[in-house]
Amino acid sequence: MKKQVLPALIGIVVALLAGLAILWAQGYPPLQSYAALFSYSLFSKFAFFSTLDKATPLILTGLSAAVGFGSNCVNLGQPGQFLIGAIAVTAFGIAVDLPAGLMIPLSILVALAAGACWSGIAAGLRRRFKMDEFITTLMLNFIADYFTLYLISGPMLDRRMYSPLTPMTNPGAWLPIWNGFGSAFLVAIAAFAVVSVLWNRSKIGYEWRAMGQNPIFSRTGGCRNDSAYLWAMLLSGALAGLAGGLMIMGGMQHRFVKGIGANYAWDGVMIAIVANNNMVATGLYALFFSVLQTGAMGMELETSVPSEFSLVLQAIVVLFVVASRESTRMLINNIAAELRMRRARGRDKGMGDGRHASNG
Amino acid sequence: MHLMVEMIRSSILSATPVLLAGLGGAYTFHANVFNIAMEGMMLIGAFTAVAGSYFSGSWIIGVFSGIAGGLVAALVFAIFVVSLKTDEFVTGTALNMLALGGTTYSLRQLFHVKGAFMSHAIQSMPRWNIPLISGIPHVGPILSGHPFIVYVSILLAFVVEWHIFGTRYGLRLRAVGEDARAVDSVGVSSDRIKAQAIIASGVLCGLAGAYLSLGYVTLFSENMSNGRGWIALAVIILTRGRPMGLLLMSLVFGFFDGLGLSLQGTMIPPQFTQMVPYIATIVALYFYSREKHAAREGE
Repeated sequence: MKKQVLPALIGIVVALLAGLAILWAQGYPPLQSYAALFSYSLFSKFAFFSTLDKATPLILTGLSAAVGFGSNCVNLGQPGQFLIGAIAVTAFGIAVDLPAGLMIPLSILVALAAGACWSGIAAGLRRRFKMDEFITTLMLNFIADYFTLYLISGPMLDRRMYSPLTPMTNPGAWLPIWNGFGSAFLVAIAAFAVVSVLWNRSKIGYEWRAMGQNPIFSRTGGCRNDSAYLWAMLLSGALAGLAGGLMIMGGMQHRFVKGIGANYAWDGVMIAIVANNNMVATGLYALFFSVLQTGAMGMELETSVPSEFSLVLQAIVVLFVVASRESTRMLINNIAAELRMRRARGRDKGMGDGRHASNG
Repeated sequence: MHLMVEMIRSSILSATPVLLAGLGGAYTFHANVFNIAMEGMMLIGAFTAVAGSYFSGSWIIGVFSGIAGGLVAALVFAIFVVSLKTDEFVTGTALNMLALGGTTYSLRQLFHVKGAFMSHAIQSMPRWNIPLISGIPHVGPILSGHPFIVYVSILLAFVVEWHIFGTRYGLRLRAVGEDARAVDSVGVSSDRIKAQAIIASGVLCGLAGAYLSLGYVTLFSENMSNGRGWIALAVIILTRGRPMGLLLMSLVFGFFDGLGLSLQGTMIPPQFTQMVPYIATIVALYFYSREKHAAREGE
């Protein structure tokens, strides 16, 4: 873990500097923009709470991708699993009306189950027919996208509205907002805690990590790869589904609107990648990305930089952190090799001297 | 009959971007580079093509800027993957996100619009009427009057087939894919060949993007590649990177894409018809896996 911190910091700093250069080159005031970016995401109660709100789906999609990639399941289906989780919670919240004490846990279960079902399709196709999950999950994204679009513009359409969206769910399924703090964040934190413990401390977590390092080794070592694979895919899908479900349960809208998934799922994939599938790092990068996204709105307000700049900045951060990680590793290896060589050369010399001495 | 002609025409039109990207991906496939960045290269190409055509008023410059856009994306990919030795999957995914974010940002930055950019100032590619063929009944309407890149891409399929399987360079390329160290040991730089393969894929994906935004339609919209780069990746896996197979399979996918369009206006909701090419990809993958599996058990 410690070895990763330095290259990550170098990468982030260089990426932020590159962002500064891009802003400067396009004629925006760079320092003022960055000041706005951070003041609108961190330096007031309201700003901080909206950052936590944005972090909620990012933590979950990030965990989803980290569990998948870390155990060698290339689940790229987060966008689809997210949408299916969201639509299932919407349908459940419209159809069922119970007190909040029952409704909230049940909705969470529905979101988890719906996401797991969608990733389960890809897992089943892989286990049964050996079909690469990375293509099937990608294709299932488009299918989920069109399927939910069909539902919200047909069977589940709110007839009083002119654009494709569903009616609101029953208020029992709404997560409370305390003084501006959305309690959905607590659900994400709970999920983070459970997944971290599972990943780092449990038997199946060990099997996942072993499988992620080397599937052949883990099978030889006695891990049940097939069932570990299935559970990793299901958990990965469930987490993405929960991210979608919380979009409906938290916040103010409580309905499925076209484009609700935004870019959260792909952001999660990037978060897992840049965190190298480490759970703590995934949580931290999710917070960092949400700072960038929340602050970008403020930046647009203050210095009129389009808020989409945060997307560019995120991708640059990922590229630079990954590059810095690899090049530091190469650099360290090179230095270590150089040192070993010098030591070996020194020993040779010493031995040579000794021989001379004995000859003399 | 008229419907039939329309359907085959639209298959050819929708097949072209998949074919072009697939031909580019064939180079990286044989060099054993996992090129998941094709989607992003295509998207960048589509954007730079529209920008080039809009600002210069010339479709030729538009097409070349599309190619240049794909090329620059490929250069970034090559620098990271070949020189810095970063993971291909990781870098490719990040590059796709950079393409999505970068084009969305530039759309607002350059053209001050959200979602899509349309303008009469964007000059689209000319459509070619083939003099002799266009007169033939039934065949003429199918084969004639397409944007010229359609013909270029079919021709390219043969050129790439010859280049990868018929030349010394192609042999080296495939050798790099088989065993890069063996190629290095005889004094040919495998890194250089890998970088060249990535650049070739960038150029062709850029061309595919230019076709999307200047030929297939004349506009740029957010994320307009819409998974075609990934379908191309699936097609490459299905055909094991053979350009002739790519030509055939991309026509099959074009057919399903076109089928989705033709079914619009029937009883089936449009969202289901739009799913067709993606479902077809999964089904094709199923048959491929079954066949591969059967072959392995037969051995």
